[in-house]
Amino acid sequence: MLQITNLKKVFKTAGDDVVAVNDVSLSVADGQFASIIGKSGSGKSTLLSLLGALDKPTSGHIIVGDKDITKMHDRALIQYRGRKIGFVFQSYNLVPNLTALENVMLPMEYAKLAKSERIKRATHLLDQVGLSADQHSRKPGKLSGGQQQRVAIARALANKPSLILADEPTGNLDSQTGTMIFKLLHELSRTENTTIVVVTHDLSISGKTDVTFTLRDGKLVKK
Amino acid sequence: MNVFSRGIRNAFRNSIRTFSIVLILGLIIGLSLAMLVARQAVSQKISSVESSVGNTVSISPAGVRGFSGGGNPLTATQIAPIQKLSHVTSVDESLSDRLTSSTTNLQSSIDAGSLGRRFAGNDGGQNIAQSGGFSGGNEGSATATFSPPVIVLGTTNPSDLSNTEGGGTFKLTSGKVFASTSTDNVAVIGSSLATKNNLQVGSTFTAYSTTITVLGIFDAGNTFSNSQLIMPLVTLQTLSGQAGDITSAVATVDSITNVDSVTTAIKNQLGSAADVTNAATQAQNTIAPLKNIQTISLYSLIGAVIAGAVIILLTMIMIVRERRREIGVIKAIGASNINIMVQFMTEAITLTFLGSIIGIGLGVVAGNPITKLLVTNSANSSAPTGAGRFGRAFGGITNSITSVHGTVGWSIILYGLGGALVIAILGSALASYFIAKVRPAEVMRAE
Ligand SMILES: Nc1ncnc2c1ncn2[C@@H]1O[C@H](COP(=O)(O)OP(=O)(O)O)[C@@H](O)[C@H]1O
Ligand SMILES: [Mg+2]
Repeated sequence: MLQITNLKKVFKTAGDDVVAVNDVSLSVADGQFASIIGKSGSGKSTLLSLLGALDKPTSGHIIVGDKDITKMHDRALIQYRGRKIGFVFQSYNLVPNLTALENVMLPMEYAKLAKSERIKRATHLLDQVGLSADQHSRKPGKLSGGQQQRVAIARALANKPSLILADEPTGNLDSQTGTMIFKLLHELSRTENTTIVVVTHDLSISGKTDVTFTLRDGKLVKK
Repeated sequence: MNVFSRGIRNAFRNSIRTFSIVLILGLIIGLSLAMLVARQAVSQKISSVESSVGNTVSISPAGVRGFSGGGNPLTATQIAPIQKLSHVTSVDESLSDRLTSSTTNLQSSIDAGSLGRRFAGNDGGQNIAQSGGFSGGNEGSATATFSPPVIVLGTTNPSDLSNTEGGGTFKLTSGKVFASTSTDNVAVIGSSLATKNNLQVGSTFTAYSTTITVLGIFDAGNTFSNSQLIMPLVTLQTLSGQAGDITSAVATVDSITNVDSVTTAIKNQLGSAADVTNAATQAQNTIAPLKNIQTISLYSLIGAVIAGAVIILLTMIMIVRERRREIGVIKAIGASNINIMVQFMTEAITLTFLGSIIGIGLGVVAGNPITKLLVTNSANSSAPTGAGRFGRAFGGITNSITSVHGTVGWSIILYGLGGALVIAILGSALASYFIAKVRPAEVMRAE
């Protein structure tokens, strides 16, 4: 269960303060596939970074499982990010001088998994997301956008997270590839029983998810 | 793949940058090692010069060095009070004289040669002009049969040759030496003189119409000194009719730091009658350029290490800025600040390690030439000003300071690697601060 109550994020800038997330309350059940839609600048990415503990809210609570991550110390937050969350970004964000396999192994290294275990699981995950064996040892620069995003999804799944956060994962892809990536995410949420929150502006995608939230100027819009 | 191997691999991500940084660091580390080599070599030389100079003050009659110049000898009554000065531990007195064929049956072991004949001519002229030189006798006749005089040294300390014209280290090869207060008709003779005249311990010869017994034979390591003979001071004073006269005295001071004050005290005591000099002051002047090199090389070393650290610092800051996003990403997937810092530090250490390999290579090649260059330049700019016996002695020191030899030993190589490590750690310290400041939320922002 993912539960957000009265979440608020204010960015202090030189000019006016920007309220990027304004008093948002929502909940997503375990294993659900949720989408967040909204115009550019409506606060979707900010909300996602709060959920993934990449940033700290100004006020409000985020309860994941039975823990309130807004009350966690920095050390515990690193663990939370590394083991409970899987991130997928619009621009893939793979480490450019590591191979696909090494990129997938990286979160497991930070989670202190044994090397043989890391290789085994990373290979399995890359197979699962549909990367051919010869592509495992390629660096991101030698993979297509769709292939890079598959590697990124495999990396997000590395530590068997309970929550996957994806910020416009199909935004840099053509619609056909985007649909395939989306299908992959959807399947995974079924097979791995992971909660997935995906930010998108593609309404054809959001229509197929279990639940959709709409943001406008940082506020949740009631349907 | 772990944090270290990633750090090492990252060091080669931008090969052109890696190459230039490594090259610059190599030059800097090479330079600092060369400075370290110079500093070590020079420091060694300074301490060896300082320890060889000793803590003695030399006293000679005003205007006289050995048999050159002129003036009146000092007397025992003049020297006696010096013994009582504070910090003076002992005073050795000596009288030099020259024996010729009319005063001895000894034959000089030195061939006259062309120099000897020329000296004899010069000396003769002088002696005719100024009666009352130290050497009586007839060496004024510069004939083809000329044979150089035999120098005889009367002394209270027979085993110290350091203050004689020939110098050298006294080494007794047979027999024994006389006591400092001896009045016996005995002599310790140089090995060359002994061989030339077929003398052994116990043999006798004639000097000043007196039979002298050979008590011992010494080797001073040079022909000039080995052609001398040494007699008790009082004996020589009596036999040569110069009772109480002294041509040279050496006061030994308890510590090298008191040499200057004792020198001044003796000068005050003897006034214009004597020339009072000490080796320490002149040695200090002579090694002054070495001390300059010591200082210069220290500053260069510090400067080079700082320059290296600044270069690594700027490089690491550049790299951290370049990889801001990547840092955010690995923070997002579970890396701690420490973990990322270790990775970047490994990268910095890899760069400086490669630099130090080049640097050590350069240090090995350039260390000695640079040391020589520094020493030669600064030693030439301050030629010694001493004259006579000291002039020669300090000429020797100058020659020996220019012979400083710098070598790259294991310690230098370890210093090089240690320095590189310090440079890398200092250089990545600020980068670490920037790493800690990267907000993982930045990865959400579009590029
Ligand atoms: N670090 C920041 N500093 C200041 N303002 C920010 C920052 N991040 C986001 N914002 C502002 O917050 C608002 C929401 O941004 P964002 O969450 O990126 O929107 P979306 O992802 O929906 O396009 C925007 O007005 C944006 O300018
Ligand atoms: Mg966004």
